[in-house]
Amino acid sequence: MIALASVLLTAATLDDCHSHRRYGRMQQSSACYTSLATSPDGLTRAEAFWGVGDLKTANEQFKAAHARNPKDPYLKTRWGRLFLANDQGSDAAQLFEEAMEIKKEYPPAILGIALVAAERFDRKAVEYAEKALAGDPKLLEAQELIARLALEDGNPTKATEQADKALKLSPEALNAMAVHAAILQLEEKDTSPWISRIAKINPVYGEAHGLIGHIMVLNRRYDEAIAQFRRALELDPKLWSIRAEFGINLMRLGREEEARQQLETAWNNGYQGNSVKNSLVLMDSYKRYDTFRTPRTIVRLDKKEAELLRPLMETELERAITVFEKKYKFKLTAPVQLELFPNHEDFAVRTMGMPGLGALGVTFGYSVAMDSPTARKPGDFHWASTLWHELSHVFTLAATHHKIPRWFTEGIAVHEETAIYPDWGDRLDPEAIKAIKDKKLLGIAELDRGFIRPSYPAQVVVSYFQAGKICDWIVEKHGGFDKILAMIQEFDKRTPTVEVVKKHLGMEPAEFDKQFLAWLDTKVGRQVKNFDEWKTSMKTLSEAKQDELIMKEGARARDLYPDYVEAGNTYELLANLYVKNKESGKAIEQLQRYSDIGGRKPNVLKKLADLQTQENMKAAAAKTLNRINYIYPNDEELHRKLAGLYSELGDKSGAIREYEALVAMKPQDQAGARYGLASAYRSVNRIDDAKDQVLLALEAAPGFRPAQKLLLELNRTN
Amino acid sequence: MDAAPQVGCHLRLALGILLATCLSANTFYLTVAGLGGEPEYDQRFGGWASDVEKLLKSSGDSVVLKGADATKARIAAVAADFAKRAKPDDLLVVMLIGHGTFDGTEYKFNVTGPDVSAVELASILDRVPVQKQLVVNMTSASGGALASLQKPNRTVIVSTKSGSEKNATVFARYWIEAMRDVTADVDKNEVITALEAFKYAEAKTANFYQTQNRLATEHALLEDTGHGTAVKDPNPQNGQGLVAARFALIRIGEGQASTKDPAKRALFTRKEELEASIDKLKYQKAAMPTGDYRRQLNALLLELAKVQEELDK
Repeated sequence: MIALASVLLTAATLDDCHSHRRYGRMQQSSACYTSLATSPDGLTRAEAFWGVGDLKTANEQFKAAHARNPKDPYLKTRWGRLFLANDQGSDAAQLFEEAMEIKKEYPPAILGIALVAAERFDRKAVEYAEKALAGDPKLLEAQELIARLALEDGNPTKATEQADKALKLSPEALNAMAVHAAILQLEEKDTSPWISRIAKINPVYGEAHGLIGHIMVLNRRYDEAIAQFRRALELDPKLWSIRAEFGINLMRLGREEEARQQLETAWNNGYQGNSVKNSLVLMDSYKRYDTFRTPRTIVRLDKKEAELLRPLMETELERAITVFEKKYKFKLTAPVQLELFPNHEDFAVRTMGMPGLGALGVTFGYSVAMDSPTARKPGDFHWASTLWHELSHVFTLAATHHKIPRWFTEGIAVHEETAIYPDWGDRLDPEAIKAIKDKKLLGIAELDRGFIRPSYPAQVVVSYFQAGKICDWIVEKHGGFDKILAMIQEFDKRTPTVEVVKKHLGMEPAEFDKQFLAWLDTKVGRQVKNFDEWKTSMKTLSEAKQDELIMKEGARARDLYPDYVEAGNTYELLANLYVKNKESGKAIEQLQRYSDIGGRKPNVLKKLADLQTQENMKAAAAKTLNRINYIYPNDEELHRKLAGLYSELGDKSGAIREYEALVAMKPQDQAGARYGLASAYRSVNRIDDAKDQVLLALEAAPGFRPAQKLLLELNRTN
Repeated sequence: MDAAPQVGCHLRLALGILLATCLSANTFYLTVAGLGGEPEYDQRFGGWASDVEKLLKSSGDSVVLKGADATKARIAAVAADFAKRAKPDDLLVVMLIGHGTFDGTEYKFNVTGPDVSAVELASILDRVPVQKQLVVNMTSASGGALASLQKPNRTVIVSTKSGSEKNATVFARYWIEAMRDVTADVDKNEVITALEAFKYAEAKTANFYQTQNRLATEHALLEDTGHGTAVKDPNPQNGQGLVAARFALIRIGEGQASTKDPAKRALFTRKEELEASIDKLKYQKAAMPTGDYRRQLNALLLELAKVQEELDK
């Protein structure tokens, strides 16, 4: 075949082959590339093998050619593009940088860097694309990239302008046409004029649908994305990167069988980058999970923690769904699926390729994925707060058919964290303070960008904070949650943010920003102003030796920045001093303030509970310990102590719940745990359950006297 | 997790008698807190030694050496004193807290003055003529001492799996916690055995590193046959733990009082028969239909409870 092709196409060049491909003449392009596979030129051979889809051999050819010509920036750049096509961005970036070391301002290499940055949603993508274009104003791909990035950033006006510029450079700019089609898709308008135009040039240009699908994913319109990816692969089944994205998004929606099929096909055809590998590894790990169903929930948990977490998760999901269905006046049409990952790396696979998402949880339609409480150090995050945050996304996405803008869905989600309990959610942190001080909060018209392409490292978390505060402000000052609902309905009509703000809040964006910042200042202004003084005070504290000075300075630092509950906080410092001085009441007061304001380190809360117990404040101690259930429930001591307190307080259902949790932890002291549970069951006359547990206790410790007495009592009761 | 007791079930009757014997013997305790090297470690090690001192106040002969008092000479002197007074039925518990070093060949326990090598320590302990010894070496690099210390009738627990685990350990904190935590008494016989304390401390140490998301730099092991390989999980399958399961580390109740009443000997004998039957039944669990197992077990447990009720009158 190769010899025949060589004979037939002895005059063929790479440009010929690329041209066949560009116009969708796939058979001809394949024959053309094949004919060049035996070219005497190494770079040509590399491109030829790439052209027929043999990426492995292409890589080897590039390597050999590079060894012969290590100083050729064009060769380096092309090799880098091969890595990029194979989902190996880091290797690609290195080659692009090497090319630029040889030939500074080399537009193809700068474009390569832009493409790598684009995959990472790095702000540099725009900067480098513009730089590449400046270096070569005819570099169509750079112009098309700028158009696409503008659309990713939620700026269809700019995207349209830039796509038109690309079309001026070349009336056959297929990706520019795809950007136009994507804009129409976002607006739920007919894309066929642009699709037809693309098909006239290249009838099998699946990449266009791939681009549209990618934009749909970024806008969380997953069903539409999947339809686009499917169409892309119908046109060209060898679009491996699109097939990978297709598989990943099928996985996100819980369509695991087809997801695995698509990912394995990509893998078996040489597309073996991290996105496919990690997704397949994650799917393999699902055999370690159990799935539990109720009419409204599907909960998937790692087997080793399922017994402990299932009751907590199901209860909390049900509670949140009930509250939200009433609050959002919207009934869900399918069960909510929740997956908890005890290994954070597995959770990270679920969020890959999605810019600026929460590091703790993510929602895809009715499907929520989260870190398990055990994925992090105790106190690192509040799982219940995260769950309510993600569940609110389920509602706002469903209610707007996924058209709600990013800032608003995140803002409502953050608002919900503290709407349910004020000590849930995150406090005002130094990153937000710095952004406010440096006037780096974005205007409402561009807040979406803060989530997609941050211009400084902390901008994503600051944007979450800002969006949440905006929603708090709207609820407090502009008509309560009904106003939020009205805005949600408006967004369902695809009304842009600026128009929604004008219509429902009666102000232009500039006025909105002004009024919001003024309100924000009333809420956090004092702490922002005090921040530098607080830092100085904390430094003084760290060097202070005398208790009296620490006490005085500690109280002052605490009042300068009361939201600070992280490492080294003054609540703990003061409490420790009071304990040392045997002033338990004052120690309790400090730690209660810590808890009330949202401090969530379990060991600190346990210390508070111990002090409360010592002072016979049992109800308070139980309340304190119960907070830990929503932070880090994987704690035997917590359940044992709380079970004991509930028993003493006569809270029988609480005692049962806690003893069940203790038994689920499979503690060393099985006999004690099961005896406790048996007694709790006995207290509510669940005699058969009590008997089962007391016998299990005695199986572990046949001579356990209290359990023996209970067994005899239960027997006599029967 | 199977709720079976730590001991091989079929030996329960013999072990029960042996444990009773152990409890009537005297236990000699020697706890040594070595040099910290820096104030933080001095305070930590000294604090742990003080905790042990409080715990063992009413538990037999207990000597705690710390600070300037913790020298090789004092260790040898205390052991010699124990040797003079100990009877063959007695028990010896030695607990080492602090830093250890291992140069590839020799382990040394860092104390004031010349350090004590594992060989020297073994030699000192060999001269105490008691039936059973327990050495709990909770220092860094303690795994390097194992080979020199292991001997028939001497249970050796080390907090590191080899001499190359050189970081300061936390095992001692949880070992001491085990000695005062009723939940460590898994079989609820009001005695915390060496095996129960080891399992408690080993689990808590592992959990410490897990919850802190830190790589574990210590891995405790136990060896009690005198010639085997030390293990993390002693059980009948690997043959470790049987001696440790019979070694009463500390008593936490009055459980054995009734055995001394002659009027209740028959009841006590019946109690022991029932306990042995329960152990035997549990040993056969895997080969029985679940329903049969439950029925038989429940009947035995109920009768045992009734017998105990009579004994308690």
